[in-house]
Order: sequence, then C-alpha cells, then structure tokens
Amino acid sequence: MSTSFPKRIRALRDPGDVLAGCMLLAASAVLLFYLIPNYIGEPPILQNPMMSPRWLPRIVGWLMLGFSCLLIVQGLLVDSTDKEDGRRIEKGPRLRFAMMVVALVVYVGLFEALGAVISGILATLILFAAHPVRTWWVYGLAFVFPAAVTFLFVKIMNVPLPLMPF
Amino acid sequence: MDMLSEVLDLFLSLDNFLAIALGVVIGVVVGSIPGLTATMAVALALPFTFSMQPVAAILLLVGIYKGGMYGGSITAILIRTPGSPASACTLLDGYPMAQQGHAKKALKTALYSSVIADFISNIALIFFAAYLAKIALNFGAPEFFWLICFSLTIIISLASGSMIKGLLAALMGILLSLVGLDEVYGSQRLTFGNYNLMDSISFIPLLIGLFAIPEIIEFYRKKALPHLKAKASGVGMTLVELKRCLKSIIRGSLIGVLIGAIPGTGATAAAFISYSDARRRSPNRDNFGKGELEGVAAAEAGNNGVAGATLIPLLSLGIPGDVITAIILGAFMVHGLTPGPIMFQENLTLIYALFIGIMFSSLVLLVVGSGAIKYFSLIADIPKAILFPIVLMFCVYGAYAVNNDTFDVWLMLGFGVLGYIFNRAAIPAAPFLIGFILGPMFEDNLRRSLLIGHNDLAIFVRGPITWFFIALTLGSMLLALYRYVTSRRQPSTSDTTQETP
Repeated sequence: MSTSFPKRIRALRDPGDVLAGCMLLAASAVLLFYLIPNYIGEPPILQNPMMSPRWLPRIVGWLMLGFSCLLIVQGLLVDSTDKEDGRRIEKGPRLRFAMMVVALVVYVGLFEALGAVISGILATLILFAAHPVRTWWVYGLAFVFPAAVTFLFVKIMNVPLPLMPF
Repeated sequence: MDMLSEVLDLFLSLDNFLAIALGVVIGVVVGSIPGLTATMAVALALPFTFSMQPVAAILLLVGIYKGGMYGGSITAILIRTPGSPASACTLLDGYPMAQQGHAKKALKTALYSSVIADFISNIALIFFAAYLAKIALNFGAPEFFWLICFSLTIIISLASGSMIKGLLAALMGILLSLVGLDEVYGSQRLTFGNYNLMDSISFIPLLIGLFAIPEIIEFYRKKALPHLKAKASGVGMTLVELKRCLKSIIRGSLIGVLIGAIPGTGATAAAFISYSDARRRSPNRDNFGKGELEGVAAAEAGNNGVAGATLIPLLSLGIPGDVITAIILGAFMVHGLTPGPIMFQENLTLIYALFIGIMFSSLVLLVVGSGAIKYFSLIADIPKAILFPIVLMFCVYGAYAVNNDTFDVWLMLGFGVLGYIFNRAAIPAAPFLIGFILGPMFEDNLRRSLLIGHNDLAIFVRGPITWFFIALTLGSMLLALYRYVTSRRQPSTSDTTQETP
C-alpha cells in the first residue's frame, strides 16, 4: 500500500493538467458527436463541404479533441506544478466567497426587479460586509456610488437602466 | 488643404481633448492599483463610448491604454507590486531605488522614459501604418485568410505559458465566435433556440467577464492580504541623469516598437528585452538589479514603446496585436468602422484625427504622470475591498447597457467563471479573445476564397503574398514547437542538476 501510492502520484505528474485535459476532451466529444449534428443546421445542397456551417466547428472540435489528449499526456509526463502560473491560491474563509456569490445573484436575479440603484446598493453592502470593511463611513459609499453611476448611465449616456421597482 | 481642415475640424473638439485627458487619468489611476489592469479598465470603459463620437471613443480607450502602461510602474516602484505584468521588469531596479530613498527619482525616470518611448512609438505608427495599409490594398480573401492564420499561430506561439493551453484557448474562442446565425446559409449554429444568441455572443459581456470578473472572484476566494501603503519621497530626476539614460531609452523604445508591431508579443517581452540590452551595454551593469536608474528607464521605454506600435497591425491590417487592441477593434466595430486598408481609403480624415489625438496623448501623459507622482499616495491607499464592489457595479451596468437585457449580465458572469477557471488551470485568456475576434474573419475569408476560386483550393497558393504568409505561418508554428521543446528541456536539465550531488 505504502509503495503503490507514491507510484500513482508519480504517474500523474500534473493532476491539474490531466483534469483540465479530461474536461476539455469530454467537452470536445460532446461538441463533435452531439452538439454539431443536432444544433447546427446544414443546407440540403452544398457546393463544397468546406462551405458548410458545420465545417469549421467540426475542425475546431477535432483539434480540441487532439490537443486535450496532448494536454492529458503532458499532465501525465511533465510536472509543471512548481511553476508560478497563478494556479495555486491561498483560500480564504468560505463565508466571504459565499457572500460574493450572493452579491452576484442579487445583481443577476434582482437587477430588473429591484432596479439598478437598489440592487447595486444591496450587492455593494454585501460585498463590503463580506471582506469585511470595518470603516463605517465606507458603507455610505455603497449608497452614493450606485446612485451616482446609475445617474451617469441614464442621464449622461442615455442608457435606459431599470431605475426603481415602482 | 481641404483634407487638413477636415482633419482639424474632426479633431479640434472639446470632446476629444476631454476623452484623451480622462482616458490617460483613468489609465494611470487604474494601472497604479495592483489587481486592476489597463485591460480591465479599457473593457469597462467600452460601454461608456456608445454615445460618443468615434474619434473621442477611440481616443478615450487609447488614453486608458497609454496611461495604464505607465501607471503600472508606480506600484512596481513604490510597493514592489507591478500594476501590470509589463511593469514587473521596472521593479527590479525601481523598488531598490525606492528603498534607498529615491522613489521620486525612479518615478520621474519611469515617467520621462514612458513619454519619450510613447512619442517614438507614435511616430512609428504614423509612418508605418499608412505604408502597410498601402501594401495591404493588394490583399484579397486568400491573402487575408493566410494573414489571419499567421496572426493566430504567432499569438499562440508567443503567448505566455503552455502552448497546448494557448491553442486550446484560441480554439474555444473561435468556437464561441461561431455561435449565432450562419452568414451564408442563415442556419442556426449552437444557439439552442435562444434568440439572444442568434446575433452571436455579445463582445462586451465576454470582454468584461473574461478580464474583470475573475479578478473579483479571486479576490473573494483568496485569503485577505493586508493593504500596503505607498509613499513617493526623495528628489526628482536631473537633466544630467536623463542624458545618461537617453541612449537606453531610445534603444528600448525601438525594441518596443519592433516587438509591438508583431501581433502577440506584448509589452512584457519588450520590457525585459530592453532591460537586458541596457544591462549588457551599460558601464554600470553591475548596479543593475540594485537600484540602477538606467534599468528603470530601459524597462519603461521597452514597455511603453509597444503602445503605439501595437496599433500598426490593427489600423493597417485590421489584426489586433494584443488584448487591448482587440478591445479597441471592438470599439471601432461598435461605431460601424472596420480597421484595415479600406479604412485608409474611406476614412482617412478619421485616421489622421486619431493620429493627432494619439500624439497629443503623449503630452497629456507627461502632465498627468507628474500629477500622479504627487498625489499617488491618495490613490494607492484605496483598498481593493472598497474598489472591487464598485468595479463589479460598473461591470454589471456596462454589460446590461449593451442590449438592455439581463441575459448579457448572465453571459458576463458565465464568462467570468470561465475566466476564473482559465486562471486556475493556467489557460491564457488572450488567445481565447484573439480567437473569438479572428474566428469569423477566418471563416469569412475562407468562404470568400472558395467562392472566388470556384471551390478550387489552388486559390490559397495563388501568388507570392500567399506564399509569404504561408511561410510565416509555418515559421511561427515551428517557433512554437521550438519554444515548447526548449521550455520542456529547461526544467528537466535543472532537475538533473539538482539531483546530481
């Protein structure tokens, strides 16, 4: 047991690359064998197969399939885990991340229902609390900025953002 | 004479001056804040340009680009945190200078080098873009097809990190660019019956999602780090010191111009090449890395020399050289303009007005940069915990503004998650964006070539221009292969040396 585990680890030199390669391999297989035949319409008569709307997606799909296999092979043979490529991060508290997700949900879910100003205030307050920002007056900015930026968009740039729920 | 008055009419408007000034200020401010990049600022500013005149819109984005290139050096010098990857080289000598109490001198050197390099780069743009566009008038669909092939391969071969990942990113970009209605047959491609996707994936939500959202997600995913305070102290740069650095600045600028004119190379490579060239030639080479003024000057000259030159392939051929020029290309398209040789024939006044504006932006950079040094402490002291919620607000509002639809906000978040996954898997986002932009051009020129050649593939090798680009494409693929092999050899060599007792 104790000898087989390090061997398995050694066999997988870069698990991140292998995982990314497997996911892309699966995605390209789905693209080639399901999405292209079912979701790209082809006209009945074609002068040249290269003119087909399916031609380039199919080429891209096959290339992706090939390169994802290469990525898996690279992950199996080459260890790039020590490289400073931004893959490793020191994770913070889960609550902080969860609150950011809630703020994003507020934006996408309530933007039209509550309007740009209220959803902006709500999401900004959640994000300030998530960090948490401990200077009380900063929370005032959560009210000022959404109102000011919405004004900028609506009145100066003539972008009709949803203003208020009423 | 008529042309001159038309150009001046177009340029001499308060909007244009304000756009340049505002752009440079935003660029310097954003560039000087670690974590906020010039790319992010240009992407976020794009929705604001919808209601602007084309010249003012482009000048605003160019101003942000240039300001951002310089702004990145400020934090590199003061707190050893480059505001942009291209400024990483500046900190090698800039930060030791700041530690020795010469922060202001380092900042002034960075500013003057940036402005001189920017000016030289602009001159190169003005001279070479028109010349290249004249040559490009002889290009037909097959020539453009190979030019796009070359651009795609060179961008991938020179992209940082793994070549395989770069290729995969570019392929994903091309694939997503094909979503929507097929232009020739009108059949739906991967729209899943969603009418929002029939007009293809919107560029702005993709852009904001890919470059701004991952930074925000990462900030809240990561452990919070203490906020570093910066202080610019000491005396400025003297004329004698400027003279001493001038040769390095000019050489660095020319290196920046050469590298910037090649699609895909980027400012980081230019800064490091310029730095190593200056180190090799300098009598003070032993002082490099310990706080050498010439080191700061060379790095910044190389870095900023790229700014104007990256616009050469964009304006003359319609090919974006890097991510920011890809966004600027998007801005041209938003305003109904297509950069390339035809634009030099049909919109020459606009091109000249842009050239004047771009030259003027160097002057603005000098003024704004001086102010930024003085008041920088105020900007640098804004913590990310306050900035990022505001940035997110701009992201959401900007994405919604494209079609006044929440679908684009969803799309932006989707691309944000994709960008975050890219970061975690070390897949570069730049080839993805370039693939997304060049994908439709690639397909369009392929189909047009086939139609012109009556489905005969011989059209793709019809003359010396196509042969030239085929050779370049093959050359860039070989270069990519060479880089891949050498990068694989290096760690294995170091591994063996480590293992050898």
